[in-house]
Amino acid sequence: MKPLAYLRIWLACARYSVVRTMMFRFDFLMWSLVEFFWMGVNLLLVTVIYRHTDEVAGWGKYQMLLLIGTSMLVQRFIMGFFWSNLFEMARNIRSGHFDFFLAQPGNPLFMVSTRKLDLDGIANAVVAVGVIGYAARELGLAPSLAGLALYALMIFCGVLINYGVLLAIVSLTFWFGASQGIEGSYFTLMEFSRLPREACRGVANVLFVWLLPAIVVSNVPARVLLHGFEPVHVLWLAAAAALWFGLGVFVFNRGLRRYASASS
Amino acid sequence: MSAFAKYRHAFLVGLQSNIIYRWNFGIRALFSLFHLAFVFILWGAAYKGQTQIGGFDLNQTLTYFILLLVMQFFIGAFNEDYQISEEIRNGLINQFLLKPVNYYGYRFSIFLAARSVSGLLGLLPLLVALPLLKDHLVLPSEGWRLALGLPAMVMAGLIQFTIAYCFGLLSFWFLEIQSFIILSLAVETMLGGQMFPLDLMPGWFFRVSQFLPYYYQMYFPTAIFTGRLNQAQAFEGLALQAFWVAALLGLAHLLWTRGLRRHTAVGG
Repeated sequence: MKPLAYLRIWLACARYSVVRTMMFRFDFLMWSLVEFFWMGVNLLLVTVIYRHTDEVAGWGKYQMLLLIGTSMLVQRFIMGFFWSNLFEMARNIRSGHFDFFLAQPGNPLFMVSTRKLDLDGIANAVVAVGVIGYAARELGLAPSLAGLALYALMIFCGVLINYGVLLAIVSLTFWFGASQGIEGSYFTLMEFSRLPREACRGVANVLFVWLLPAIVVSNVPARVLLHGFEPVHVLWLAAAAALWFGLGVFVFNRGLRRYASASS
Repeated sequence: MSAFAKYRHAFLVGLQSNIIYRWNFGIRALFSLFHLAFVFILWGAAYKGQTQIGGFDLNQTLTYFILLLVMQFFIGAFNEDYQISEEIRNGLINQFLLKPVNYYGYRFSIFLAARSVSGLLGLLPLLVALPLLKDHLVLPSEGWRLALGLPAMVMAGLIQFTIAYCFGLLSFWFLEIQSFIILSLAVETMLGGQMFPLDLMPGWFFRVSQFLPYYYQMYFPTAIFTGRLNQAQAFEGLALQAFWVAALLGLAHLLWTRGLRRHTAVGG
């Protein structure tokens, strides 16, 4: 199938998601509020901590807001574009409904990952951008167009990393059928994306900065806005994106070989 | 069959069915250690260059979060709201309408069983991590903290469960209650002291939070045990907590009786 055909499928799915959201407007409103409140909880944590201290690991209040906003933006994109699809994938593997995706004339991973859009997640990405914009203004940052483009690219890499991690975790369902709650481990891991890299020392530094991609997904984009183009950091994030996306696809494909359906 | 025997059986059945999910609880408990690592890193960095925040040192704050974790496994509502919602939506609740069993009592017995299992399993990873944690644990030694903290913990469990029960009963009116539950969880996380000790908030905000039920879910018993509240505050809190238990039990009864009026039992 040609890339254009995939684009058409994705647009059809997006249109279906918009129509569906418009049918359940109250549900959309409630879920938007849910995400908005959770973002508020994280912002409140920053506000409370900085009531009592001037800096955390060398990061001032507005630098921290920039970091949290960046972490939120990556998360909102994941929630908006992929979370429901991958969450349902785990359920479908368990129930056997995953057959439906295999029967479609296209790449199974694409079909599984892009069926639905959650507009509430995408709507709250605007709020995250607002937080980033507010923090940037308070810090007196004025990034150039190239700087903004680089930031967008880094966010894209962050989304790829998150997608890869989530896909790898959910694909474990191919092996451990009854693994309810395994998806929760993704949120636990990504909690660390709200921490400045400098706060992690010793074992935490090795684990959350070097081995797992939790810190790098938010810190590198935030640093691009704060300090401009730093080749080592940018290359680090790009390499991590390639690695984790590749790992997610690899685990998915290996899992697919084990899939034996569950229907009668 | 005496009332006690009925609910004892429900408790034992709940115990057996929850032991089946021991790995789920175990994995959840293991991941909670990662959350604890996040808390240690964040607050460790916040305390750099100062010995006290809000009148408490780093170890006192870390003890608060460790005990909060223990509380969550012993008295927190996990998925009781979803279970109740499913029973209403699937019609499984019909059987309780025909039997001399109080549905709240039945569900609470199962909640007690589930928390016994999750509480004990939740302790295991903490015990494994104890060599790393013990240097940070600083619990006050006053006896009254135990005497007041334990009833506060019991009532906190009742509040936790009853709020979850009420959300589950919303299924009489709404097809989908997940968004309500997660929205409430966000408010609870914020006002229940799960992200930060509530006493670090501005004074007026802390005072307002004391009149809301969320304060009595996790923060209140944890704050008594960890020395963040004095005796007078603890007594005042216990009275307000008892009020919230009574109010929520009343609300649960109201939702149950009103909900049953809307309920339609279909099938044989």
